[in-house]
Amino acid sequence: MIEFAATYAGLYFKGLLLGLGLTVAAMAGAFLIGLFVALARLSQRGWLRAAGGAYVALFRGIPPLVLLYLVYFGLPAWAAQVGNPFLIALLGPLDNRLLAATLAFSVNAGAYTTEIIRASIQALPADQMEAAKSIGMTHGLAMRRIVLPQSLRIAFPPLCNEFIVILKGTSLASVIGVTELMRSAQMVAAATFLNLQAYILAAMFYVVAVIVLQTLSSLIELKLLAGSTTGD
Amino acid sequence: MVANDVRYTEVLRIEALGKSFKGTPVLSNVNLTVHRGETVAIIGPSGSGKTTLLRSVNFLAPYDSGKILLNGKLMGYVERGGRLQPDTDANISRLRRSTGMVFQRFALFQHRTVLQNLIEGPVHVLGLSRELACERARTALKTVGLSDKIDQYPARLSGGQQQRVGIARALCMEPDILLFDEPTSALDPELVGEVLSVMRQLRGQNRTMLIVTHEIGFAADVADRVVFMEAGAIIDDRPAREFFGKPNNARIEAFLARHRNERSSSI
Repeated sequence: MIEFAATYAGLYFKGLLLGLGLTVAAMAGAFLIGLFVALARLSQRGWLRAAGGAYVALFRGIPPLVLLYLVYFGLPAWAAQVGNPFLIALLGPLDNRLLAATLAFSVNAGAYTTEIIRASIQALPADQMEAAKSIGMTHGLAMRRIVLPQSLRIAFPPLCNEFIVILKGTSLASVIGVTELMRSAQMVAAATFLNLQAYILAAMFYVVAVIVLQTLSSLIELKLLAGSTTGD
Repeated sequence: MVANDVRYTEVLRIEALGKSFKGTPVLSNVNLTVHRGETVAIIGPSGSGKTTLLRSVNFLAPYDSGKILLNGKLMGYVERGGRLQPDTDANISRLRRSTGMVFQRFALFQHRTVLQNLIEGPVHVLGLSRELACERARTALKTVGLSDKIDQYPARLSGGQQQRVGIARALCMEPDILLFDEPTSALDPELVGEVLSVMRQLRGQNRTMLIVTHEIGFAADVADRVVFMEAGAIIDDRPAREFFGKPNNARIEAFLARHRNERSSSI
């Protein structure tokens, strides 16, 4: 097993790095989606609230693998079928595996991120918004300067958790041929017939990566807390 | 208080204010005027609508009927063709600048230091330069006696200190009227005095103040006028000396007697 690990560690590591890159990109997209949809869900306007709610209901309901197939196989094929040049220009690039995976995972994780950010905003005492308004801030300014900076600190630990969920979810991208960690393991297994070793090594890579990420997030969390509660 | 010059000294005018919550009236036909330099205390039993009335003034609690005029300008609504329509967030926010509010539970911005709490409004709402805002903040901190806490985070301060920062934050906006929402109710008894003494000092500077309070002794001592509320309505509004000297209503008398017994603590 040790010899096996030594032989293929480099290949696995490359796969892990690709998975991590995919995760960072998907998380960035999910964060942006989550921020805007959460604000929509808390909006004073009914139609925005409804639209935000619909987003969460829809994309929390679609399994990520189904979404991946829809984005990678479904959309570009549909654009080509319709033959509309605008649609082809818009959706054609999704036949790029990495792009399709990034989009699918962003949209999927965006639904969860929405709920994390919404709950964090609501967890903040209401008087923070009121105090901000009492000194003449508009709703938007109060959100940006007073509410979100505090809420995102509350959101940080569950967002880190979401990051880890996305990372493990990137193994799904192996089915559309993205050469991330799981795909590397499949290729090694196919070449060596050592299925058990190949997948144990993949599992170990995931576990170590997650432990490292957890440790990092705890360290950052401590730093964030130090800023707000104890001061100097 | 200069009777024949009322039009120019009126900071706040509340006319026939009404509000109901799910069919239950919370405020009904409330009329109240506060003049420049006046300190008005609102007292009354819990649930009588004191806080709701105060929060209507800066529209944190929207009202349903009647009018609130700040320096003669209608708060929260615009009149179109004789009908009131909700005003925009931007306009409401702009009019709020003429008010400053001190909250029961302080409501300091926890992620900001004392100085940052104080300059937040002046810099980001009023558009003052950082230097000017800091100067204001230092002056306000001196007023509330907390110059040495300028770089602390709120969580490191006692309740009394936090409330004094809350007062300083309101002062930094240089509002025309200060609204106090039970400013000492969340404090340990031994910390009440320091907050009241700051308020007393503001009274000495002839600030315009509207104070919802349970500190009857303080109201008697500091207020020019006392407003007594019950069940969402004002049932008495008289100069403090008259109000306490000769209560004109048996229920008010009972309320005062109860409070004299419970709280002989205030300075």
